[in-house]
Amino acid sequence: MTVDPGRIDELRARFSDSGLSSRRVEVGALEDEAEAMFDRGWTDGLPVVAPTKARVARMLDGTTRSPGDIVTLVPPSLVECTIEKVAVNAVMAGCRPEYLPVVLAALETICTDEFNMHGVLATTMGVGPVFVVNGPITQQIGMNAGINVLGHGNRANLTIGRAVQLVIRNVGGGQPGGIDRATHGSPAKLSFCFAEDEGGSPWTTLAEDRGFDRSTNVVTAFCGEAPRILVDQKSRSADSLLRSLASGLLSAVSPRTVLAMDGLLVISPEHMARFRDAGWDRARFMDELGAYLMVESDEILVGAGGIEEGLPESMGGLTLPKFRPGGLLVVHAGGPAGLFSAIVGGWLNGPMGSDPTSREITP
Amino acid sequence: MHDIDDLERRGLPGVVVASDPFRDAAKAQSEALGLDVATAFTPHPVQDRTDAEMHAMADDVVDSVIAAITTAPSM
Amino acid sequence: MNDTKSTTREAEPPMGMMLLDPTSEIAPSGRSRAVRMASLEGLTVGLLDISKPRGNVFLDRLEDHLGRRGATVLRYAKPTFTKPAPADLRHEIASQCDAVIEALAD
Repeated sequence: MTVDPGRIDELRARFSDSGLSSRRVEVGALEDEAEAMFDRGWTDGLPVVAPTKARVARMLDGTTRSPGDIVTLVPPSLVECTIEKVAVNAVMAGCRPEYLPVVLAALETICTDEFNMHGVLATTMGVGPVFVVNGPITQQIGMNAGINVLGHGNRANLTIGRAVQLVIRNVGGGQPGGIDRATHGSPAKLSFCFAEDEGGSPWTTLAEDRGFDRSTNVVTAFCGEAPRILVDQKSRSADSLLRSLASGLLSAVSPRTVLAMDGLLVISPEHMARFRDAGWDRARFMDELGAYLMVESDEILVGAGGIEEGLPESMGGLTLPKFRPGGLLVVHAGGPAGLFSAIVGGWLNGPMGSDPTSREITP
Repeated sequence: MHDIDDLERRGLPGVVVASDPFRDAAKAQSEALGLDVATAFTPHPVQDRTDAEMHAMADDVVDSVIAAITTAPSM
Repeated sequence: MNDTKSTTREAEPPMGMMLLDPTSEIAPSGRSRAVRMASLEGLTVGLLDISKPRGNVFLDRLEDHLGRRGATVLRYAKPTFTKPAPADLRHEIASQCDAVIEALAD
């Protein structure tokens, strides 16, 4: 017998006690397994990779944890989800085994009271978990923090986010049209996961800002909509660009919301250069930005400007921040050329909604 | 079985009528397809029967055939 | 070595691909049947002849029974019992009928 690793995995799955306990589902010889998986409702609308025993066994090599260990309770059904079930769905999403620890940490991050994945799934607003990954693992597994960072083309970015969503759908039972009744939905519901460009940034990373060491691998989950581009191709000073970004941020979700929704700002390398040239660090940036994100409540009261949406009359005469303290997350990512940044609007924050949540990624 | 499986997917209630020895094969095929395809069975063999015998077989199985494609109870 | 190989081959399942269920396994792994009506009254029922000898005699009699129970019967035949019906025939049945009976496999 030859030493073909693929063949070894296949034989191991067939002849050894693999310790895998998932129900076996046989697809008939005349059936197309891709079609069979669509028919069973196992996919997100895109084709999935067939979760054979050999592939799942190989996926489980990506973690030191046992297949039977419980990862978390997955909403909406709040059923116990094992490492094995995550591995099955990670195979289907197209993950490589080395992505599995990120998938597990991402899942654990959102299945918490703070993040409130149940509410995020059930809301009619088109939001989903947006994952930002920090630490050396992003380079080790080949995540993208550069060109097309929020778009297509990178297997790790896309399949990690997709695997988490497939777990919610298949294990948790969060089917669109069932518990998930989003009015429009959003690409964030398929997969929205990317790495921060740490090496190219003069600032501390998002994970550092949230209390982690730079050498630690961390996933941060933010409940957000699809990204929107903020264009500014003329500003040459930090202050001009800051005012420009702030005016875009004020319109996130609605110009009429203050304090209720968080935001995620993705600054591009070319925009970041303005702040680096001015010698601003993250703290200076946040401080100066905060001043431009103050809103006179009289301008957004019910009926102001002929618009019936707005703050109640009782809140008149106040100056309020667009975002609550800690409610604006800022990361550095994107391709080297392009005077654009991106804003991801959030959802209802705090105990009634979802709080940004971070977690260390462990093997 | 594949035909009925496909037509059930399109929303049509369906039933396969087969002779007795096909019970096990039908069960295995249903499991493979992921759909418990409705079945009704006649005695075996079929091909050497007279017309009268074929008619009697149809008379005997018709109630279970109808029960398989409606919610009417089998008699 | 040859013996081992032939044993390996025999141990392989004769058909199909074996998948691991990605769900919580609370629900059955299969699909559910199409919704059934209470009776045949007013329904158009397709009789699909799989084209085995003498199946037509059985289907003629079945057609009489179904007609008496209030169904309109349409007859179809697939070209050969050895293969699934062609896609256009299945589409024709699906667009013309409310229910379908396939017979007679022996």
